[in-house]
Amino acid sequence: MFDATNGEISKALVTLAIEKTLLNMGKPVLDEVAHRLFTNYKCFIPDCHEHPEYLKSVLKELYGNCYSNIVESIKKSLDEFATKKSIEHFLMVISE
Amino acid sequence: MQTNLEKSQIKKYLLLSILGTGFIMLLANFAGQEVRTLITNLLYVPVPGALVVLSIIIAVRFSVKGEHGRAWILFVGVSVSWFIAEQIWLVNDLVYHIDPFPSLADFFYLAGYPFLFLFSIYYLKPVKGAISKKTLTYVSLTAITLLVPSLYMASGQDSQISDFELALALSYPIADGIVLIPALIGVILFFRGEVNFLWSLICIAIILNVVADTGFLITSMNGSYYMGHPIDMLFLWAYILFSFGVYSHIQIFKKHHPHIKSQSIDDLR
Repeated sequence: MFDATNGEISKALVTLAIEKTLLNMGKPVLDEVAHRLFTNYKCFIPDCHEHPEYLKSVLKELYGNCYSNIVESIKKSLDEFATKKSIEHFLMVISE
Repeated sequence: MQTNLEKSQIKKYLLLSILGTGFIMLLANFAGQEVRTLITNLLYVPVPGALVVLSIIIAVRFSVKGEHGRAWILFVGVSVSWFIAEQIWLVNDLVYHIDPFPSLADFFYLAGYPFLFLFSIYYLKPVKGAISKKTLTYVSLTAITLLVPSLYMASGQDSQISDFELALALSYPIADGIVLIPALIGVILFFRGEVNFLWSLICIAIILNVVADTGFLITSMNGSYYMGHPIDMLFLWAYILFSFGVYSHIQIFKKHHPHIKSQSIDDLR
């Protein structure tokens, strides 16, 4: 039996939303984002839950200032969980 | 990951390719009609050929999955169609010495346009949030405004041409007008500083191709077109810009060592 804390569940949900959105664009996009997160910040996709600014910066590097559609897609995936405090924080930072 | 050095190298090679092609065309124009025709026709083998190879590489990398994958498959459709068209043109001109218009080449040229339009829609999709309705309206109006003179010229062709030939001649400006809309949007995004130069290369290439098509139409109408005309340089430059646009994506989405993906959702289970 796996007992997850609220924080872990939020982290898993955020990770799933990011991975699903990037995979919808193409696997090389997910790979490139993961690679840049690791190269620039020594972090992995699940760490974006605590550091949404890293993901934001990587998406900006890849797509310039027009990455809003990707953010919208991530937001849409997390819509029903948006009231969770940590997810709310993630969405707030990434949408700024 | 594409470093600043790689980006500046791509730009350097792009400039060299453009200057190199221009120089070859210039020399060919000084060397007499036969050499000019031969060299210009032969340039249409490696230049569009390189685009086919690069577009296949990026399509294989994205392996049809995802929005980018679908976009690049459509782009393979463009590059292959236009490559076949160029080769048919070359054979008609160099081997059979017949007027390449109208010919099977036109079928392949025109077949590339729906692929190009659908590709550009997918290409702009990640940045669609930055495209306002106002921009879309202005761009569409600009494309229609530019389309009208071309249509007028194409329809005013020699009355001795058949209805089929007239329809064919009219198809090009219409197709150009349609693909011009997403291309202009891409370039506007670049000038607004929303996307980088290498990203917008494909959109610039589409615009250059439309300019070349219009130039070809005008010079064909007034009878001043010949193989090796400066208009051909624009077509070749458009292929080069397309190729470098695709190449920059190959550089961005390089294959990475699998260890980086090692922590993902699976590690949270």
